[in-house]
Amino acid sequence: MRSYAAQRAALALVQLAVLSVLVFVLTALLPGDAAEMRFTETLTPERISRMRTQLGLDQPALERFGHWFGNVLTGDLGTSLISGGPVADIIRHSVGATLVLTLATLAVVVPLAVVLGIVMGTRENGRLDRAITSVTLALSAIPDFVIAVLLVAVFSLKLGWLPATWVGGDLLASPALLILPVAVLFGRTVCLLSRQVRAGTISALQAEYVVQARRLGVPRRQLLLRHVLPNAAVPGVQELARTGDTLLGGVLVVEAIFAIPGFATALVDGVETRDVPVVQGLTLVLAVAALVINLAADLVCNRLVPRTELLR
Amino acid sequence: MKARLPLAGSVARLPLAVSAVLVVVPLLVAVFGPFVHLEAAPGLPYSSQGVLGTDGLGRDVLQLLLSGGRTALGMAFGAVLIAYIVGGLIGLTAASTRHRWLDEALIRPLDVLLPLPSLLVISVVAVGWRASALAITFAVAMVNVPTVARLVRAAALDAASSPVVEALRMQRESWFGIHLGYVGRAVLGPVAADIGTRITLAVFLVASVNFLGLGLSPTAPDWAVSVSRNREGLLLQPWAVLAPAFMLVSFTLGFNLLADRLVHRSRRLVEVAR
Repeated sequence: MRSYAAQRAALALVQLAVLSVLVFVLTALLPGDAAEMRFTETLTPERISRMRTQLGLDQPALERFGHWFGNVLTGDLGTSLISGGPVADIIRHSVGATLVLTLATLAVVVPLAVVLGIVMGTRENGRLDRAITSVTLALSAIPDFVIAVLLVAVFSLKLGWLPATWVGGDLLASPALLILPVAVLFGRTVCLLSRQVRAGTISALQAEYVVQARRLGVPRRQLLLRHVLPNAAVPGVQELARTGDTLLGGVLVVEAIFAIPGFATALVDGVETRDVPVVQGLTLVLAVAALVINLAADLVCNRLVPRTELLR
Repeated sequence: MKARLPLAGSVARLPLAVSAVLVVVPLLVAVFGPFVHLEAAPGLPYSSQGVLGTDGLGRDVLQLLLSGGRTALGMAFGAVLIAYIVGGLIGLTAASTRHRWLDEALIRPLDVLLPLPSLLVISVVAVGWRASALAITFAVAMVNVPTVARLVRAAALDAASSPVVEALRMQRESWFGIHLGYVGRAVLGPVAADIGTRITLAVFLVASVNFLGLGLSPTAPDWAVSVSRNREGLLLQPWAVLAPAFMLVSFTLGFNLLADRLVHRSRRLVEVAR
């Protein structure tokens, strides 16, 4: 167990090192830079080159990477080329909204997906299972942004029940701001997750130890909670880590539609203005978050069912 | 098992027909739409002129719909194709090599890339190659390579270690006979099921990228771009948003249903084979 955790953590460290190089290389090799983007109107070669020297863009890539990486290790993510403020500040200001959005979604999605998954799994191919399966399958086929556009049209433009954007709104003053964004994010994640829990439940129910426990007369409730659920949860937890990916995509879309000043909005803005330090900083933080989530998911799975092996 | 009603067979076949229609309609529009030219003069923004009215720039919605499928579906298909060429090659090489180091060298780097959020990679690519359909297609493909390579490797290893291969080897079947005739065909089942879900995911990803304005230019006729650009006018002229949205949903929904059947069938085949 401990050696598994150590191995898995070592892999995560290697991943982190490779990712930071990758993030830098991808952003550094991009054609065009912020110096060009800033002066699209008054584009004189002298101004651009002066700008480049000022921003350090004229130095060789390797030197820039060493500089950047050294700073990252000390927690300094650089300064924005556009606003001139530290990247860390941009991250600090935008992380709150995204975190609230994600946690609120997960708080709704996880319990519901587990319950739905077990309900479906224990009634494999029954009428209820098939009904829920078709609904989740259909729901998961609708792109986030289509759901978002339609929900906004109906509930905020037509009926006027819920706010359509976060502009000028305060989350603490009006929690209703969260309803539509969470509703959009909820659809696909709950479908993906409940299907995995369903599959996990079905295979756990067919396992020999469950059949044996049933033969020994273990009560149904205890059977489900103590024996089936931990095993059924494994694909669920792994899917949850992968859901991070779907969820991030959804968060990007949702933040764009509802004008939420979050992480994704900052990222899209950074991409649009070619603000490389901001994109690097945000990408690095998100990549680290993805790594940590995957690491945590693998460790949890190993704890639930201590048999997973990392290295063959 | 419960006795089946006589109607059950035809009812069970209904979703197949429905999902086929759902997939085929947007597919036909995407393939043949760009060749159809309507004589629609540019009108006022969000007017009801023409069959489906006009969009926010006064362009005919039907004409946009006809020419917008090429990028919406084409980029996704292209990405999955590239992902399978690259990932399939890596996976098959890793599975068939006798050198363990080669297998490790091919597969281990993919483990590192696997947890990278896909929209992140694409937005970074979008910083440099703005509005390039080709760059976005490649980015979407690259995001899919790790999973495809691992899937193909696992499926090939699974088939190559089966008693059937052992028996074929004992019968002195040729290398090509074993690998192409048996292993290759055995890989096709899981691959087909995977392609089904992967294409829907790719359509999603391409559409999200374009919707966010990270991909194609905001005046492109692409379905996702149309939904994004005309969403303020949804109540004035719903068709400018609903028609392209319907095309996308119809395709992904139909493809999901078909893929689900395929997964069930391949799983059943596996169960029968055991």
